[in-house]
Amino acid sequence: MDLLEIKGLKKSFGELEVLKGIDLSVAENEVVSILGPSGSGKSTFLRCISMLEKPDEGSMVYCGKQAAHFEGGKMLYAPNSELKEIKSYFGLVFQNFNLFPHYSVLKNLTDAPVHVQKRSKAEVEQEAYALLEKMGLRDKANAYPHQLSGGQQQRVAIARALAMKPKMLFFDEPTSALDPELTAEILKVLRALADEQMTMVIVTHEIGFARSVSDKVIFMDGGVIVEQGAPSDVIDNPSNDRTRAFLKKMEEK
Amino acid sequence: MKQKRVISLFLAAAVGFGVIAGALTSCKDKKEEKRTKLIVGFDAEFPPYGYKNEEGEYVGFDLSLAEEVCKRNGWELVKQPIDWDSKDMELKTGSIDCIWNGFTVTGRESSYTWSTPYVDNSQVTVVLADSGIESLDDLADKVVAVQADSAALAAFESEDATEENKAYAASFKELQQVPNYNTAFLNLESGAVNAICMDYGVAKYEIEARGSKFVMLEKPVSTEQYAVGFLKGNYELRDEVQKTLIEMLDDGTFAQIAKDWELSDSVCLSADDTVLDGSTKKTESFSDKMLRICKQLLKGVGASLLIFALTLIFSLPLGLLIAFGRMSRFKPLSLLMKLYISIVRGTPLMLQLLVVFFGPHFIFGVSTSSEYRFYAVVIGFTLNYAAYFAEIYRSGIQAVPVGQYEAADILGYTRQQRFVRIVFPQMIKNIIPSITNEVITLVKDTSLAFAISYTEMFTLAKQVAAAEATIIPLFVAGVFYYVFNFIVAFVMSAIEKKLEYFR
Repeated sequence: MDLLEIKGLKKSFGELEVLKGIDLSVAENEVVSILGPSGSGKSTFLRCISMLEKPDEGSMVYCGKQAAHFEGGKMLYAPNSELKEIKSYFGLVFQNFNLFPHYSVLKNLTDAPVHVQKRSKAEVEQEAYALLEKMGLRDKANAYPHQLSGGQQQRVAIARALAMKPKMLFFDEPTSALDPELTAEILKVLRALADEQMTMVIVTHEIGFARSVSDKVIFMDGGVIVEQGAPSDVIDNPSNDRTRAFLKKMEEK
Repeated sequence: MKQKRVISLFLAAAVGFGVIAGALTSCKDKKEEKRTKLIVGFDAEFPPYGYKNEEGEYVGFDLSLAEEVCKRNGWELVKQPIDWDSKDMELKTGSIDCIWNGFTVTGRESSYTWSTPYVDNSQVTVVLADSGIESLDDLADKVVAVQADSAALAAFESEDATEENKAYAASFKELQQVPNYNTAFLNLESGAVNAICMDYGVAKYEIEARGSKFVMLEKPVSTEQYAVGFLKGNYELRDEVQKTLIEMLDDGTFAQIAKDWELSDSVCLSADDTVLDGSTKKTESFSDKMLRICKQLLKGVGASLLIFALTLIFSLPLGLLIAFGRMSRFKPLSLLMKLYISIVRGTPLMLQLLVVFFGPHFIFGVSTSSEYRFYAVVIGFTLNYAAYFAEIYRSGIQAVPVGQYEAADILGYTRQQRFVRIVFPQMIKNIIPSITNEVITLVKDTSLAFAISYTEMFTLAKQVAAAEATIIPLFVAGVFYYVFNFIVAFVMSAIEKKLEYFR
């Protein structure tokens, strides 16, 4: 079953049409990377499917449940209770981590499971410690975000998303705020998650990483999907000129 | 850093010395030079003796007399309106040469060097015509207003007060001190006080000006005389003024001026009267005096602390509600709050206190009680500070990055949870420095309660300073505010430190 099914997603900011009708389906255990130049609309797309932005047109189905569709000239959303359920299916990792600065690392992981999901504190904490262990941050449980490096903060952010037990994870350029050394640290974590069959949608500029970890690569430009398919097709043998030009530019960097 | 501090201290000291030295030299110059002007201190709200007329000029019987005296001596007359409570300070520092303003001799014989009395006046009682009050006996358990440091107050409370008047004062519910007669009449009209005791001449003038709503009780509280008061020991100037006054009496000018001001019934200047020079008061050791003054001020300290505490307790939460309203997506509410904040921040707190206190009567016709005075202070301060706090909260909330909201939304927090758990703690950290500023201002602003005659620390200090003719109470008040604010700053910086665990 497809965990995510997006059809005909459109979004404008004023006069500027950023998304011109995007289709995407993500199967369980699939890793999808979205590539594209700045301004191609890939981040806006990710924000739309994370429900941080409201699309103007299109339909969005998560785990078989319809969250929104376009009917009679406007977007119709599922009732709030259902939306709440749907939102619990996915997690999002931000480019800037957005950890809660006033909470310790442990509390960043446990606060939402305890207060939003109403799970038992003892159980949540146990799981949180396990997640931190996995991220190599067991000794930072009581530190505060400002005491951590960027790479450590992003690992905490990933752990925070995982603590909610989502069915899929979205990543919005998770390494763009990090220097190369720390980037490698995060890519290692993502690779480990892929090995564990986590379903993921990753907006990224790391071509090499996308090639090695993705089941599917999507190349976006100018608000449309220009090309999509297996990494061996899209990255190694691009059929479209725009894809070729972008990849060439990225290589030169 | 340290070096910088030393330099700025040094600079401050240098400036301080400069100012003092300058002041001293200018004083010296004044003494050596021949007199060219006479600075007359007066209460600009004391018609018909000295007040501001419809054209905005200072006029009055006393000022006309002073003008004539100056003309005859070739001096320039400087009319200096003063705060009545500060008259002794003004005289001592030389910022005025004399107090010439329906200045009652009775009870103050030993405190000044006096001219001979030129007006015989009595202290009378004014009540509302329909109040049913006919004599001082009817004022038992009623609130009676007198001007702070006035002859009427002295007639009831000073050591020289008659036993009869002391008994009356004891029978009153309260002897309320007000800063000026306009306030007194506003209080009387609104029902906050039941009677005003004041000078006969002023009472006559006020009743004529304000109409038949007010009447004067027949029996005066006391009789008294007015004279010109000079700094104790300043015989030289007193003699010159005295001589000129007698000249004016002899050639009829004095009588004419009295007639012009319709005071012919009250004047009593006579060449035969002896002049009063003031004798030294009984001495009291400095520490005894200090202790006595501190004790007197203690009552006011409680009042100031209460205003401070209640204002914070009410305005901090109210400010948050106003901030929510201001940020509401419901436009009418947001605009209303914006207007509220704009009005409160755009008008003086003193005016707001007056509106809160007198508004119920003059806008809604409700009669206000004496107890309302305290509530009005707390309400006025709360409404004012809530507006400032609201803007501080708003800036503190807006300084929380949008990413925090998005992270909270993705994790499924409700709006309430998002505010309480994520935004509020970060807002608090953002606003602590601004809140500290406001709280420190509030400590000092409590003194504005005097605007509606609520006797807090500073009002009391001014009254005691006036009654004792010393600046010690003001100094003590200053120390009190400083210590209070020192504690406030200490507590706030402790809170700030406590919040340093996150960034």
